[in-house]
Amino acid sequence: MKNLFLTTSILLLFLMVFSCSKQPDVVIEPEKLFYQPSNFQSPVYKIEKNPITKEGFELGKSLFYDGILSRDGSMSCGECHRQDFGFTHHLHDLSHGIDDQIGLRNSSSLQNLAWEKTFGWDGGVFDLDLFAISPIENPVEMDDKVPNVLEKLRKTEKYPVMFKNAFGSTEITSERFLKALSQFLLSLVSANSRYDKFMRKEEGVIFNATELAGMELFKQKCSSCHAGELFSDGSFRNNGLPPTERQQVVYRMVDGVKKAFIEPVIDDGRMRVTEMPEDKNKFKVPSLRNVEATKPYMHDGRFQTLDEVMNHYMTTVTATQNLDPLLNQNGKLGIPLTATEKTQIIAFLRTLTDREFLTDKRFTP
Amino acid sequence: MANCFAFCCTSKYTNMKTNKFFTFLVFLVIIITGASCKNDEINPNDKNSITLSFDNKVGDKSLVLGTGAYTNSSGEDFTVTTLNYFISNVSFKKEDGTVVKFPNNYFLVKQSDAGSLEAELKDVPAGNYKEVSFMVGVDSTRSTSDISQRVGVLDPASYGDDGMYWAWNSGYIFFKFEGTSSVVPTNATGKRPFQLHVGGFGGMTTKTANNLRTVTLPLANAATVRGNIAPEVHLFVDISKVFNGTTQIKLAQTNLVHGITAAIPIADNYKSMFSVDHVHNDAQ
Repeated sequence: MKNLFLTTSILLLFLMVFSCSKQPDVVIEPEKLFYQPSNFQSPVYKIEKNPITKEGFELGKSLFYDGILSRDGSMSCGECHRQDFGFTHHLHDLSHGIDDQIGLRNSSSLQNLAWEKTFGWDGGVFDLDLFAISPIENPVEMDDKVPNVLEKLRKTEKYPVMFKNAFGSTEITSERFLKALSQFLLSLVSANSRYDKFMRKEEGVIFNATELAGMELFKQKCSSCHAGELFSDGSFRNNGLPPTERQQVVYRMVDGVKKAFIEPVIDDGRMRVTEMPEDKNKFKVPSLRNVEATKPYMHDGRFQTLDEVMNHYMTTVTATQNLDPLLNQNGKLGIPLTATEKTQIIAFLRTLTDREFLTDKRFTP
Repeated sequence: MANCFAFCCTSKYTNMKTNKFFTFLVFLVIIITGASCKNDEINPNDKNSITLSFDNKVGDKSLVLGTGAYTNSSGEDFTVTTLNYFISNVSFKKEDGTVVKFPNNYFLVKQSDAGSLEAELKDVPAGNYKEVSFMVGVDSTRSTSDISQRVGVLDPASYGDDGMYWAWNSGYIFFKFEGTSSVVPTNATGKRPFQLHVGGFGGMTTKTANNLRTVTLPLANAATVRGNIAPEVHLFVDISKVFNGTTQIKLAQTNLVHGITAAIPIADNYKSMFSVDHVHNDAQ
């Protein structure tokens, strides 16, 4: 008996060591970097205009995690978009930028971007390739200028080589820079949640009764906005958040000296882009994929838990200007749910978590 | 012209002492060549460039960034620190009504950069052009095109501190006019700046105001493109018209415009700020 135990232990140890040492390096295969999940619709992004290569992906990833994209080197894209939190800024309601300045909104999660028609909470950017200019040049985010960033990249040892590997020559242009970032971003495909596997009828994946009930309720109560396999119809809606009176600290240079000013925060959402009163208070319906990981919630990150989010829809929906008609049925605001139903919906939402995506080593710095 | 004369004169002298028939022939030659010289012999295969020269002014004063002191039609004093605008979709109309278009030439005119004040349109077919037309701004096609087509002055990531692109709301700033005025209330930093930024190509995902404006100007003296003539069209650009085109704009009230709807009257006003002062048709 003792012998058997020893032998087994040694064997196990050996196996463990063996399996550890055999753990392969992260393999990056271009054809698998971006793919069309069978349960998704066709992508919006024209992938043929920017075919993803291993070298382009690696360049994009390196840029994404490099503070060189910011004025003082302190802020990378990855700072506000952390992989383990669905590429959002964990535990920050409003994202923090350079000099610890606070941004207007909670950073969006980055996933399945090839299927998005617009980018950002107000949808002001309509092409993924053009997105990065915005955070790089925003004074409260990375506060640099793209031409200056490109100049800094040219002076490094590694980037000209990486650009050559990705695009054939060491030339660093804005097109190449932006397309490399897009290659990395496009590869962030999340379609391996338990929900996906359940829908694809993959072996051994089952939902318990609570999750099944939650899915049914979700279809009835939530899916007119959080529609389809992306769990968003990409529209802009006012979901009745009660108004808040936020103030922000703004730094300005006065005769060469940086001074702080306190100003009220005004966030009109989509109206900021279209300038139309009917778009006031509207924000893009976010995808709910990995929603368990992307806390806090809403454009201003006001809710910390899914429970708080559900409570809002059940009890605090407020008739502000342009409240979505779906949240005002015959004068009854919000979505009526029992406590049990709330629990069931949350259980279903947790099935949208894609652990493989959140821990995929290919995306890790 | 010079070639014509040489030919005529040579023919004339070599045939002087021959018979009447030859004299007649010589006169015929002179008349024919003389007439065709008057018609200026447009060789349809010849091409040359036309340069649009933008001479930015305030009323009849030349524009000097920083130090120039000006007054608008409402009696408001102002100085100018920045004047930039995009010119695109240039076209020229011939005497016979045919139009030559340049859909792929985009120019960013910046008062701070002397080299940018001249926009050269290459390979214009020989002809007499009586009208010039251009767009102020970047048309909707190019405003929404793939990054690979946004090169040169259209590279949205190329502007640095003098931004001509709204990154958070994908779109070019067509016209940027900045300065100071004592009538502008002091801002948080104790300055009195005005910033008039005009953009808006009509919207991509939602229809928004369209602030693209097309300017059409007759050329009283035609631009006569020939193999050896590359005309220069000298335009006066009177930015005081920004304040009193079709709408009176007072800096005391309108001093920070960064939007699309608010910029409509500014775009309407600056449509009338361009005029053709003269055309140079000097032989090269």
